[in-house]
Amino acid sequence: PAARAAAVALGYLRYLRGGPGRALELRALRRARRQDIDDVGHKYYLELELEDVLDKDRTVNCTAEVLYHLGNKSSAPDVQVTVQGELRSTEEADQEFYNRIRSLEKELVAENIPDSHGNVPPELEPIRLLAGVASGYLIWQNSTENTKFHLAQVKRVKQVKRSDEDLQFDYVVLLHEMVSQEVIPWEVTVLWHPRRGGRVSRDRRQPPHGPG
Amino acid sequence: HQVLRIKTKNEEEVKQLQLLESLEHLQLDFWISPSAPARPVDVRIPAVSVQSVKAFLESQGIEYSILIEDLQDVLDQEKQDMAESAQRQRSSSFDFGTYHTLDDINEELDHIASEYSFVEKIQIGESYEKRPLYVLKFSTGGTKRPAIWLDAGIHSREWVTQASALWIANKIATDYGTDDFVTSLLDKMDLFLLPVANPDGFVYTHTSNRMWRKTRSKIPGSVCVGVDPNRNWDAGFGEVCSLFAPPGPGASDKPCSDSYHGPSANSEVEVKSVVDFIKNHGNFKAFLTLHSYSQLLMYPYGYKCTRPDDYAELESLGRAAASSIRSLYGTTFQVGTICKTIYQASGGSIDWSYDNGIKYSFAFELRDTGRYGFLLPASQILPAAKETWLGLRRIMEHVRDKAN
Repeated sequence: PAARAAAVALGYLRYLRGGPGRALELRALRRARRQDIDDVGHKYYLELELEDVLDKDRTVNCTAEVLYHLGNKSSAPDVQVTVQGELRSTEEADQEFYNRIRSLEKELVAENIPDSHGNVPPELEPIRLLAGVASGYLIWQNSTENTKFHLAQVKRVKQVKRSDEDLQFDYVVLLHEMVSQEVIPWEVTVLWHPRRGGRVSRDRRQPPHGPG
Repeated sequence: HQVLRIKTKNEEEVKQLQLLESLEHLQLDFWISPSAPARPVDVRIPAVSVQSVKAFLESQGIEYSILIEDLQDVLDQEKQDMAESAQRQRSSSFDFGTYHTLDDINEELDHIASEYSFVEKIQIGESYEKRPLYVLKFSTGGTKRPAIWLDAGIHSREWVTQASALWIANKIATDYGTDDFVTSLLDKMDLFLLPVANPDGFVYTHTSNRMWRKTRSKIPGSVCVGVDPNRNWDAGFGEVCSLFAPPGPGASDKPCSDSYHGPSANSEVEVKSVVDFIKNHGNFKAFLTLHSYSQLLMYPYGYKCTRPDDYAELESLGRAAASSIRSLYGTTFQVGTICKTIYQASGGSIDWSYDNGIKYSFAFELRDTGRYGFLLPASQILPAAKETWLGLRRIMEHVRDKAN
């Protein structure tokens, strides 16, 4: 249960602070405490150790509070995360990525990231990390105490050129839900800008899978 | 064709052999020519001339012995040896650090079994789509020695498990005779390894859907296919925890669900085959199963949240095994009962084995913790296999000591 709350906190943080140059992962769940608040819900107090995979030697500590609302299943948990210290700056990598995508003649299209063997071509790694930002949003918005989501794979991604300064990517991501073991396809559109960060503009859950 | 060795006693006899050598119609092939009395003379004689040459030597009182009774036999054996050696070359160049198809895996099982006399490939049943369920039996003798069971790939999308099982099979085979632990283990116990417990699902992950988990059985009355083979064992089958609102964990009764438990316990032939095999054998002391991902080392129970009778011993052994795993690359595995560690889940294999008298029942969830999940890069196969092996070793050590 505490691990599930940690996943929610991580998703939230990825959405807020993630980007094509930042790969936040949970190193360890150091401490967890649950508080049952009458008529409100269950609140988890967490101490997490995070790392940016692209900066492996450094870990960052953070505290988080995750409140699952009682009864109302359609309401997202309330999350607060406080990062102690600084996350490594990704300004340069972000700008590089932005320039690269903006200068593409044809809109970027890709499938199956990682592929069946776990491979991610280096030039697609930032695309995958952006999918992590989008998934972070989905995980935060759709988690309950009985679910634990992970981004399993980017099934499809299509860039959509825009007239404004944002980059737009339409994704179909596969989210793996641990408790039911379902792999759920989810359409999600992400708008991203090096200085403004990312935000999800649209999302739609697809049925888990065809009959087989 | 025969090859004779002729021992000449004097110059006279040498001259006789030189005469023989000049008779071309005999088509004699002198491997060592007649030169001096002291030196033996080796000659290959075509089948048609064998009788007449022998008759000649005997009439002259010249001593000979048969070096090679039948040259063709020798040639045939050599050809076979060469083929086996080529096979060995191929298998020692089998890349354990990459993902393989079912056919490749089965071929490698054949190689390992043919290369080592104490390894045998046996078939314990067939999958729904009629694929053989192959188990490698490691046995250095005895009759129904106390045994250890190890399986992988019961959930087909967990590719690092089949890959690791293959590496582990090869490791055990090559270590017998050189590694103290493996040698002492196989001298006392047998090991049965099922590297692909769900071959239909595995093929499906290659051909159609990399994320497929279940079997591929048709479910009467449903358009959906497949049963979660790790909810199909006869241990709290079909029970759902009442504390959670539906759709609850435990196992699903919905055919389209990825944790569908199936119409009845052991309905899946993949599960029934293992159950029957283990029951018929009757002398298993440990039941170990590999899954991914999450990095967990678990023991019963999953179908209920109460501790097993052997809780203290299993917890302690689990921790020791996790410690061994960590010693290699620092990879941390969490230890505990299934219920406490992951979730309540009914119909699981180690719950069944434990309730059927196999005390040392453990389930491993291998790398990673979610970054790649099921799509673990091939570069991590060998590290995962090696660290997992250390954990399995630790458990097997304990089982070996306790079961004897």
